[in-house]
Amino acid sequence: MTIQETYKARVKKLLASGTVKMVIGYKPGTTADRRRPHFIRTPEEADQLVLDSACITNLSGYLLSEGLLSDEKAVAIFLKPDGIRSINILAAEAQLNSEQILILGFDSNDNQVTALEGEKVEEFTTLIESIKEQAPEALKNPLLEQIEGMTPKERFAFWQGEFSRCIKCYACRQACPMCYCRRCIVDCNQPQWVNTSSHTLGNFEWNIVRAFHLSGRCVGCGNCDRACPVNIPLRLINAKMAQEVLGAFDHFSGMSHTQEPVLASFKKDDSETFIL
Amino acid sequence: MAKIGVFICHCGENISAKVDCKKLAATIAEHPGVAVSVDYKYFCADPGQESIKKAIRENHLTGVVVAACSPRMHEATFRKACAEAGLNPYMCEIANIREHCSWVHTDQDMATEKAADITRSMVEKVKRNNKLQPIEVPVTRRALVIGGGVAGIQAALDIANAGQEVVLVEREPSLGGHMAQLSETFPTLDCSQCILTPRMVEAAQHPKIRLLTYAEVVSVDGYIGNFHVKVKMKARYVDMESCTGCGDCITKCPQKKISSEFDCGIGKRAAIYTPFAQSVPNKPVIDKATCTYFKNGKCKICMRSCQINAINFDMQDEFIELEIGAIVVATGFQVQNNAVYGEYGYGKYPDVITGLQFERLASASGPTFGKILRPSDGKEPKNIVFIQCAGSRDPSKGVRYCSKICCMYTAKHAMLYSHKVHDGKSHIFYMDIRAAGKGYDEFTRRTIEEDGVSYLRGRVSKVWPKMSKLMVRGVDTLLGKPVVIAADMVVLATAMVPQPDAKEFAKTIGIAYDEYGFFNEAHLKLRPVESSTAGIFLAGTCQSPKDIPDSVSQASASASKVLALFSKQTLEREPVVASNNEATCAGCWGCVLACPYNAIEKKDILDRSGKLIKRVASVNPGLCQGCGTCVTFCRSNSLDLAGFTEKQIFAEVMGL
Ligand SMILES: Cc1cc2nc3c(=O)[nH]c(=O)nc-3n(C[C@H](O)[C@H](O)[C@H](O)COP(=O)(O)OP(=O)(O)OC[C@H]3O[C@@H](n4cnc5c(N)ncnc54)[C@H](O)[C@@H]3O)c2cc1C
Ligand code: SF4
Ligand code: SF4
Ligand code: SF4
Ligand code: SF4
Repeated sequence: MTIQETYKARVKKLLASGTVKMVIGYKPGTTADRRRPHFIRTPEEADQLVLDSACITNLSGYLLSEGLLSDEKAVAIFLKPDGIRSINILAAEAQLNSEQILILGFDSNDNQVTALEGEKVEEFTTLIESIKEQAPEALKNPLLEQIEGMTPKERFAFWQGEFSRCIKCYACRQACPMCYCRRCIVDCNQPQWVNTSSHTLGNFEWNIVRAFHLSGRCVGCGNCDRACPVNIPLRLINAKMAQEVLGAFDHFSGMSHTQEPVLASFKKDDSETFIL
Repeated sequence: MAKIGVFICHCGENISAKVDCKKLAATIAEHPGVAVSVDYKYFCADPGQESIKKAIRENHLTGVVVAACSPRMHEATFRKACAEAGLNPYMCEIANIREHCSWVHTDQDMATEKAADITRSMVEKVKRNNKLQPIEVPVTRRALVIGGGVAGIQAALDIANAGQEVVLVEREPSLGGHMAQLSETFPTLDCSQCILTPRMVEAAQHPKIRLLTYAEVVSVDGYIGNFHVKVKMKARYVDMESCTGCGDCITKCPQKKISSEFDCGIGKRAAIYTPFAQSVPNKPVIDKATCTYFKNGKCKICMRSCQINAINFDMQDEFIELEIGAIVVATGFQVQNNAVYGEYGYGKYPDVITGLQFERLASASGPTFGKILRPSDGKEPKNIVFIQCAGSRDPSKGVRYCSKICCMYTAKHAMLYSHKVHDGKSHIFYMDIRAAGKGYDEFTRRTIEEDGVSYLRGRVSKVWPKMSKLMVRGVDTLLGKPVVIAADMVVLATAMVPQPDAKEFAKTIGIAYDEYGFFNEAHLKLRPVESSTAGIFLAGTCQSPKDIPDSVSQASASASKVLALFSKQTLEREPVVASNNEATCAGCWGCVLACPYNAIEKKDILDRSGKLIKRVASVNPGLCQGCGTCVTFCRSNSLDLAGFTEKQIFAEVMGL
């Protein structure tokens, strides 16, 4: 049996037995290489399920749809390791109860999809720890290194060029599982800290604010990067921030469902003397 | 319509030398909303303040900007003046054109332009200020004094004698601290215990003082006037109520060879012990680490020897919770471990001792009953070398600072020695003699002139044993000659250092400390007894090296601060506190974690039927200190700080 069929059978069983009320997975998209989210409520609906190497979107953000989890019934969801880390972050930030989430884990390498053992997020801790170990290497990127080699002036010009295309559609925000705020800072107009118009200043303000809001939280799933209609390399910014928090605070996002957010927590034994 | 009055101060010439105040006043007068714009030599002086009040009344001003020095200097002064003229004090802001402008610039035109920017930005802020009302918080009139050395005892007695309740917490089995270990004290040579013991007893018996010995503060929550403190009462294994302090148990304990901490290792104690004969309370504790029963499960001889059954091996540590209004920290010091100086041989040669060990030898109630005897063979030394600054003023191995007391106590030691051993000879190696203090220089002169002590200006490079002597090689820099002295004993004037756990302890109670671990005062000159945390005061050597007179003075000063705080039922707090927009809060609890004062709680929002709609953050204004940490953290901008609202800050920035 292919992995897709194995999982299909498992989904049907989960729904038929009433273990979960819904399974969030993938189904065919508008083109052959695209997948769209599939919200499966009955065993029959599972027939459409697809699981292949084109399933790349991190679906965890859908769990936060208004009211979905409020009845405390379990929901199952297809997740790659980055998505599993998102569950930890969302749980750590009190947006969901990880007990309620049943993970159908998978990974894909070289067009090959493999199943991941485990259902509850804690069961993936060893896996995430090994990802953290590889992170210093994995976060490296030739373009990033090239940008780091630039003078501040050149770097500014590079990003000014990239951001100049931003049309403030906020697709990046909508696609990001961590951008769950009820009111995003850009929607705050008393005062209007972030300019809404898409000129240099406004675009810088927006993209830099979002980078800060995701530092120590971004799992590098690439949802924002893929959503951007004008192909701004958003992933680079977030990867850079991930490198920074890893180097400075040994913080790797989504390690556990009790991990403290790096920018809100402080340790008494911090080497900085300004921390009491 | 805003009617803002702008008052531009020359600060003598501090501002006017670099900022053209007349021109500045004229420029600001043009700014929209400014009704009055004037300059004057000293607005903080009486006539200056009067002119502001007059302008407020005559022009019905809605806001005031004083362009002057840092708000840390006179914000309170000007806010008070505004209040007296009927304007809400929080409608007054300070534009700092001194520290931020005139003091740091040389070009007059540019400085004047910058001053205009700074002032305009504050005018824009003040237009958006809100009339705030001070927050009243109740004050628990009970003080906690941590540390029962001379400083802690003094602070506790002063507060208690003024009629307020005190809880005095000491972690050792007895009160007293280091002063109880001293022989006689400079500069008057009073017997240390004779002057201290009566105060220890007074503190223990005072009806307003609750004494907790063998106890440690484990946590401090809350804020000025309303601290919640948790204290651990370590198990003594001896019932405090029934024990009469007869000491039968101590004489029967088979473990008698334990090095006594109080005697700095020169004397011995039992496993069940009181640190010294005059201990207060004079009731023993069992030292679990050395007690045979706790080691082998067999013994309990003390229990059988006790006629009133006061010993109980099942005792457990207990925790008590206290409601406290103010805290005095008096946790004292330690002496540096001299083993870092390999060349002096401390720890290697038994007759190289510290100043504190010398105190124990010289003390009438000490292990040698006041006779100066060598630890190695019990013989009276005929030649002693004292080495000053053994740790102090030595950035390489010791500490950079001067311990302040060593010059004095070394002179005292040499003097006491000459009084006790008439044919004895002593030499003191010193760097400088620092004897500033009432009667101090006279004291050191007496040592040199009347007691014949020889002072050698220079350092010691090596101490080595030869037969039964200690050879001391040093240099006399005044003669420019190396010297070698055959001594019977060497005494090191060891540096005063913070308690080893000082930094940890500071974190536990939430006060700041310096690079060494001494606790930081709020302002070295103007607020030397306040810690950086409101309601927590400092006394004695936990703040910096001090002698007894200084420790006691600071303790009394702290007590007076506590009493001032307790003079009212309630305390007025600045209304600069955060609040949360519950509609936009995402309940991520980042702010709950980020708040250093634990002022943010989680609040349930329920519908009419009591069903949970969502959970949001909620700021407790009584706990909030207005630091703004949560505001900067909140991604959705749900939090805002009164007095520094986002609207105000934004206007301020845009005004530049
Ligand atoms: C060798 C030597 C000789 C000296 N001779 C003189 C002299 O002749 N004249 C003079 O004026 N000064 C002299 N001094 C200085 C004098 O000893 C100090 O100024 C004085 O003892 C300081 O008192 P204190 O209360 O600040 O600290 P301490 O005496 O150290 O008392 C601090 C107390 O706090 C307790 N404590 C610490 N941490 C905690 C905690 N976390 N919880 C509860 N309790 C705690 C300790 O157990 C201790 O009892 C001498 C000092 C030395 C080292
Ligand atoms: S950009 Fe920031 S404020 Fe906006 S949704 Fe994302 S995390 Fe929230
Ligand atoms: S998705 Fe791209 S274009 Fe749209 S707001 Fe984000 S960065 Fe700008
Ligand atoms: S039990 Fe034994 S060793 Fe322990 S204190 Fe009593 S007599 Fe001493
Ligand atoms: S940080 Fe902001 S969004 Fe998060 S709980 Fe606090 S107030 Fe709410």
